Amino acid sequence: MKQVDCEDVKRNVHEYLHSAMVESEIEVITAHIANCDSCEQHYDIEVVFNQVIQRSCDEAPTEELAERVMRRLREAQDHD
Amino acid sequence: MSGDKSEKLVTFEQQALPLMPQLYGAALRWTRNPSDAEDLVQETFAKAFAAWDKFQQGTNLKAWLFRIMTNTHINLYNKRNKDQAKTALDDLEDWQVGSGESVTSSTNRSAELEALDNLPANIIREAMDQIPDEFRMVVYYAVVEGLPYAEIAEVMDTPVGTVMSRLHRGKKLLRTLLQDYARQEGYDVSEKEES
Repeated sequence: MKQVDCEDVKRNVHEYLHSAMVESEIEVITAHIANCDSCEQHYDIEVVFNQVIQRSCDEAPTEELAERVMRRLREAQDHD
Repeated sequence: MSGDKSEKLVTFEQQALPLMPQLYGAALRWTRNPSDAEDLVQETFAKAFAAWDKFQQGTNLKAWLFRIMTNTHINLYNKRNKDQAKTALDDLEDWQVGSGESVTSSTNRSAELEALDNLPANIIREAMDQIPDEFRMVVYYAVVEGLPYAEIAEVMDTPVGTVMSRLHRGKKLLRTLLQDYARQEGYDVSEKEES
């Protein structure tokens, strides 16, 4: 298996969490994290960070916006 | 209000309109306020409807709509100059961009984890709004929408390499801002890097 050091592992955190890597690369990093507390913590922070961002961006549009859009599309249709 | 809906409007209503929450979420990140976000969503749908014949059924409708939103936003606010949104931040070396990963001791790291987890949503959103548009949107599409890099590249009209570097830098900037906030709130997060 290809060797990776902590720096490689940390640099690739986003690609790993985003599954933007090939299977073999993911395996190498998973194996490294399992044996390295420092990298594991580094990854944990990014995971929590992602969850926090997801949580904070969940604002829903109003009913009124849907109505406005529909009115606009109706007008566009009438001009077709 | 007119009478019957055309077949085109019926199909568009069934396929595109259910994506309004996703479009609104992205529009909020582009515009940073609800009223402009609503305008952007409305314009995006109007443009998408006008171009509906060009949408290839079976391809990714959400990415297609996000791409139209990018162009609509640029046209509405005339944000980008000719050389396609290359920002000064893209030209910096990695070490010059924030101290996001300089966390040293594990005590500090667990404090940072706890602080992050406890930060109120509006603080996170404010921090997001402080980083440059092009970085914020890449972080949003990657983290919240879970779009693959190649799709983000298409939506933002940039090379994949730029997407990767903006995701890294965007999150680093965000993390630095949030560490500053956490420190003010009394969390013992990482030492501030001397520069």
